[in-house]
Amino acid sequence: MTPLEKTDLLQGTLDLLILKVVALGPVHGYGISQRIRQISKDVLQVQQGSLYPALHRLEKRGWLFADWGESDNGREAKFYRLSAKGRKQLAQEEHTWERLSNAVALILQTVE
Amino acid sequence: MNLFTRKSRHGDREDAMEREIDFHIDELTEAYIAQGMSREEARRRARFEFGGSEQVKQTMREVHISAWIEAVLFNLRAALRFLRKSPSFSIVVIFTLALGIGANSAVFSAIDAVVLRPLPYPGGDQLVTLSQYDTRGRDANTLVAPIRLEDWNRMNATFTAISGYYLDDISETSGPLAEKVTEALVAPRFFDVMGVWPALGRAFRPDEMHYGGPRAVIISHRYWLSRFHGDPNAVGSKIRIEDRDYPVVGIMPASFQFPSVDADLWEPSPMDGPFEVNRNLTWFNVIGRMKPGVTLHQAGADLATVQAKLGKQFPHPDAELGINSESLKQVTVGKTPSSLWLLYSAVSLLLLIACSNIAALLLARTADREHEVSVRYSLGASRRSIVLQLLTEVFVLALLGSLAGLAVAAVSVPGFKLLSATLPRADEISLNWSIAFYTLLAAVVTTLLCGLLPALRGTRKGLAHSLALTSRTQVSTRNPVQWFLVGVQVTLAVTLLLGAGLLLRSMQQLGLVDAGFDTGHVLTFQVSGSWAETTDMKSVVQRIDRTLDALRTIPGVEAASTSAMLPGVSSKYQMEFKIDGNLDAGNRILADERLVSDGYFEAMRIPQLAGGPCERTSSTGDVVVNRSFASRYFNGNLPVGHSLQDAAGSPYIGARIIRGIVGDAREDGLDKQPVPTVYFCFSAPNPFPNYLVRTRDDPMAMAQTIRQKLHEIEPGRSVYALMPLQQHLDEASSENRLRTWLLTLFAATAVTLACVGLYGTLSYLARLRQREVGVRLALGALRGQIAAGFLSHGMRVASAGCVAGIMLGLALSRFLKGMLYGVTALDPLTYAGVVSLVLSVAALASLVPALRAARLDPNRVLREE
Repeated sequence: MTPLEKTDLLQGTLDLLILKVVALGPVHGYGISQRIRQISKDVLQVQQGSLYPALHRLEKRGWLFADWGESDNGREAKFYRLSAKGRKQLAQEEHTWERLSNAVALILQTVE
Repeated sequence: MNLFTRKSRHGDREDAMEREIDFHIDELTEAYIAQGMSREEARRRARFEFGGSEQVKQTMREVHISAWIEAVLFNLRAALRFLRKSPSFSIVVIFTLALGIGANSAVFSAIDAVVLRPLPYPGGDQLVTLSQYDTRGRDANTLVAPIRLEDWNRMNATFTAISGYYLDDISETSGPLAEKVTEALVAPRFFDVMGVWPALGRAFRPDEMHYGGPRAVIISHRYWLSRFHGDPNAVGSKIRIEDRDYPVVGIMPASFQFPSVDADLWEPSPMDGPFEVNRNLTWFNVIGRMKPGVTLHQAGADLATVQAKLGKQFPHPDAELGINSESLKQVTVGKTPSSLWLLYSAVSLLLLIACSNIAALLLARTADREHEVSVRYSLGASRRSIVLQLLTEVFVLALLGSLAGLAVAAVSVPGFKLLSATLPRADEISLNWSIAFYTLLAAVVTTLLCGLLPALRGTRKGLAHSLALTSRTQVSTRNPVQWFLVGVQVTLAVTLLLGAGLLLRSMQQLGLVDAGFDTGHVLTFQVSGSWAETTDMKSVVQRIDRTLDALRTIPGVEAASTSAMLPGVSSKYQMEFKIDGNLDAGNRILADERLVSDGYFEAMRIPQLAGGPCERTSSTGDVVVNRSFASRYFNGNLPVGHSLQDAAGSPYIGARIIRGIVGDAREDGLDKQPVPTVYFCFSAPNPFPNYLVRTRDDPMAMAQTIRQKLHEIEPGRSVYALMPLQQHLDEASSENRLRTWLLTLFAATAVTLACVGLYGTLSYLARLRQREVGVRLALGALRGQIAAGFLSHGMRVASAGCVAGIMLGLALSRFLKGMLYGVTALDPLTYAGVVSLVLSVAALASLVPALRAARLDPNRVLREE
């Protein structure tokens, strides 16, 4: 399947995806972009130009913590973790997303 | 947090962004290599896929900037919420800061106007006053002969131009009543030197600057408004001075008030008249404009070579003359800056006290807010962000306080002008942008002084666990920081009190001195006259003697006289004499010279000790000496009958016979010891001498009668500067009084603030230790013991503050040098008085919370547990 263009990602969706991926465990920026790609089966490809500013924004808001640590291949990398505030935020955004996608689905299922 | 660490923080962040991006690109490269690409190909592909890394970084930076703005807005909102939640606390802090910052800004505005701002002439810092002096120290005259002024102007290499001026009082006679007008007679180049020209009309033409040339005057803005009601057609009209008409050729701008705020007219004083070529006739005040970049020192050296050349050309008198140069600004502001800096230090200490007071209040509050802080920590806030939030609260308070302070300053600025008639440049004091900026700066400094310590202490790590505790079960702390702040307040208050005390003692000592003359019931005034009259000195003397005679006929007038200078008002004029024609080089006869008429000693009630007083009938011109002169220079012999001569050998002062001896009087100022003085008996030292009239009753009640009498005999002359002698003396000491009372006011405020701090801290401590006190009372402690414990805690801190304050006071006492009279800077009475005052008010301030703590009901406290 061809990947979706960056512009197709709904505003605010990227934050949700990042929070969700980070919720699985401490991970660096490269790891996040790889996971999103793998899990979405190559449908979603996050542009690095959006990924890193988003990470920093989430960190500034206090939803993510960041520490420098060692990557799998022994290199120094910046790892992101979810904060308590971020976990709350994730739960809220997941809920919002569910309501939104249900609503969209209902409309699309309407028979003409 | 200084600029440096902020910068390195910023550098860290850039570096981290770089490393994060590099890591990503490296990982991508590895991934492509794993897919079988060559390293080079993989790297290019990875870079391409990542996109412009610079662009990414820029977007990341924007994230940080907008986060910063968000944080600032968040903190401001939180601060405003906090202020609304505790209005009484906010009002107390804002009020304290308003006073502290307001007083500081007000004094700073005076310093700004008097000391810091350049004079209101273009390139005013290049203006220099020049005067001549007798290198042998025999003649105190500093005025300059016109021909010498022209020589200086022609021969120097460091001045753009040199000019001069002198003041004359004249009568403008076009109206029904003669009106006194102050005229400045100016040498050529006057306006070039000042750098200011008429706003309307023109400056003087060269032909008007020559002897016998056409007449012309330029009028002041003030005179233009009062005499011509601001009519622009005034240029070209005429005014009448004595019996001659003068065309008005120009009007000066309002800001130009040189050489005096009183100057109404400027008139050319030609340099080529018959008297002007005499090198011994001196009457000009000289002013020059140094070329750009020339320093006062260079100009002085240049003028010294000029005068040396003149000395060779005209050995007498120029070889015996030197040139003094002083910057005009220095001359204008005089000694005032030291008073202003003293007041400035005082208000700054006051602001420091206010700050430590507020810091103590905030400390007590942050203790109450531990819970809030620990909640924020657990929500993931960094210490830095919490400190910033706490500082924002203080900054908002400081900002509001400084705004109110600006209002306080705006109110006190006119007060400054009223309080001190002698403050130079007082009319230039105003609130402007530099004062507003200064006030804003004060708010920032205040924020850091008040807020930093409480914010840092309130956010110490390890406080987070206090979430688990309730404040009630918390063990009381000793609060050393709060007590330190109280100690600082007491220290600074003691320092201020010592300064105020020493000044007050000086004033008290001054009030006790015997002036040697009686200032009560003496009316002083002047009657207009002009230097032009001095071409016929005989008639000037006759006119003044006639006036004195008329005054003495008025019922209620006990004595009347003239004097060149007012008694008790500083005007140093020293001369060297020869006794009976002998000059003894090893034993110079130096004395102050004063010119007085007959009746002077009677009017001033200076006692006659031997011989007779000044009398009008003597044709030789006699002198009277004071007791100091007689005892110092005559070794117990009676000086009456001996003769005195000017040691400089001036041909204008012949031998004078000493007619009598009078008592010593503080003629040169109440704060100066009497010095040997020679009184020349001469009623007409100038055409408009000071008249001194002793009245039986209130001197001002006689003013109208005297005016009428003088109008009868001299209808063409005006009477002016009519006031009691006491008022002159008050004005002469007004700067002294101003700084004494202001410093006393500041010191009183300081003590009050320190006591409030002591009271507040002790009350807070007592509240914190309620439970402990309750337990102790329940266990049988006496209430007296509890109260004594709190009281002694307060007094220990106050005593330590006193000791530190005395040491600081000793260190700073040299700033008072020259302002003290009759007391030393180490006056034990002042020190003892200040310490006992501070300790007793500290005891009062501690007693109330101590007693309240001891009145506690132990049952209630223990039940609450």
